[in-house]
Amino acid sequence: MTDTRVIDERTAPATVGFAVQVRGLRMSYGSTEVLRGVDFDVRYGEVFCLLGPNGAGKTTTLEILEGFRSPTGGTVRVLGLNPAAQAARLRERVGMVLQECGFPRQARVAELIDIWRSYYPHPRPLCDLLDVVELAEVRNTQVRKLSGGQRRRLDFALALAGDPDLVFLDEPTTGFDPEARRRCWAAIENLRRLGATILLTTHYLDEAERLADRIAILRAGRIELAGTTHEVAARAGLATRISFTTPSALRGGQVALPDGVGLAVRGPVSVCHTDNAAVTLRRLLDWALENRLGDLDGLAVAAPSLEDTYLELTGPDPEIT
Amino acid sequence: MTRSVRLAARQALLDQRSFWRSVEYALFTFAFPLMILLLVGAANVGSYLPGTHVKNTTVFVPGILAFGVIVAAYVNLGSKIAVLRHDGVLKRIKTTPLPSAAYFGGLVASTVATVILITACTGLIGWLAFGADPRRGGLLTLSVGLTLGIVCFATLGLAISSVITSAESAGPIAYASFLPIAIISGVFDPTFSGLPQWLSRLVAAFPVKALAQVMQGAYTVRPFPAWDLANLALWTALGAGFVAWRFRWHT
Repeated sequence: MTDTRVIDERTAPATVGFAVQVRGLRMSYGSTEVLRGVDFDVRYGEVFCLLGPNGAGKTTTLEILEGFRSPTGGTVRVLGLNPAAQAARLRERVGMVLQECGFPRQARVAELIDIWRSYYPHPRPLCDLLDVVELAEVRNTQVRKLSGGQRRRLDFALALAGDPDLVFLDEPTTGFDPEARRRCWAAIENLRRLGATILLTTHYLDEAERLADRIAILRAGRIELAGTTHEVAARAGLATRISFTTPSALRGGQVALPDGVGLAVRGPVSVCHTDNAAVTLRRLLDWALENRLGDLDGLAVAAPSLEDTYLELTGPDPEIT
Repeated sequence: MTRSVRLAARQALLDQRSFWRSVEYALFTFAFPLMILLLVGAANVGSYLPGTHVKNTTVFVPGILAFGVIVAAYVNLGSKIAVLRHDGVLKRIKTTPLPSAAYFGGLVASTVATVILITACTGLIGWLAFGADPRRGGLLTLSVGLTLGIVCFATLGLAISSVITSAESAGPIAYASFLPIAIISGVFDPTFSGLPQWLSRLVAAFPVKALAQVMQGAYTVRPFPAWDLANLALWTALGAGFVAWRFRWHT
């Protein structure tokens, strides 16, 4: 009887609305304003990434969503609950990987995951958890003997023990070598496959690009841009880059530069930037045909990357007073 | 309610397994009181308290019983919680739906198990090696002393854990904050005397001597230890107040 009620609660909100809704979120520590009106939504089943430089307010935002801090202003809903007031109910349905959380030193891997499972009303099976985070081989190893990457994956296993609807990951791969990062990413992708909604913070672009369905760039306490990787890059107003190997006739001066595309010859490579890639490409190919330059060797069209956008946005900060 | 008890029991089991896994730590916790019992006990064999027919060891053995309670409940529990806080384990517990009472209840239950084992070893060795055994009806006094001792020193352990800022200093601070008091309280030397009056009054205000005297009541006939029990209750209240004021889940 109790079970039915709990199951209803768990499944009902999954079909409608957002896993996380943040409106006008403000947070001040004394006179320091850390968050200055943050808005974003996380949809059920997606991987949402809060991207931003250190000190942008990512961890503060997460701590408010987790119910560890009460905001100075604005509203927050997590799985339809108010985290500050309903922390206990939220804890049963949310998994968290925080920064700087340790383990009891002498506990063994499987033993620790197992006791964590006992804290939750609907735990995920132990074998599942060990497989998702690829720790089955070290299940009987003492936690203090694990590598940094293995410890982080154990973090994931503990966060998943209660079969959460939503997982918070605060900078999950900071300070890891490439191999450890790759395995962490694999674990996060396994998580996504299980249908969990994931809210992740990071200051690594490649991580956001690789893992996230949608991204919000947080800088100096505000969301600068939000959307899919491509939307974010496009909305930043950055141009598409078209490049090709400079034909020898052009280098030798036998052929004039095309009109109206802003082509620049940089030694062996010719480059132009455009807001309308199709028109520019057509002009370039027409020009190549007229001048018998063939198909333009090494022709490449690059959409603005997240990195371009991010560097543009997080460069020198004009707003800090 | 039953769920909380079950969770606390699991927590206590994991804590006991972890305790015995760090063999040096477990042995030290046990070996320290037992070594003092054997060494100091051997030096006191055949001596009597001045002007009485009471054997030194009859007073000394229950003193070591009190010492064991303090090592397990104050030093071990206090430094353990300081390390758990420093390592971020308490913070991690806070992210789960586990009730705090079940978590700390488990840690205390595990401490009780350790205390019972130390008490049994100390009592047995004291009896076999020095012939010191509780007086008739002394087991009741012993149980009261153990219970109050655990409650008082576990609370003080929780309190001192809030003062310790690093995992490395946890053990040293916990030991250094009570060993000198234990020495001048005469826990290790039943004939210890000659303190200036102000110092002996000061020492009597601490709960170490109070617990030792309650335990001694289990071995020799003494007046009802009303002052000692009040002392332990007062320190428990002080410790609990400090915990309520200063306890933090993370550093």
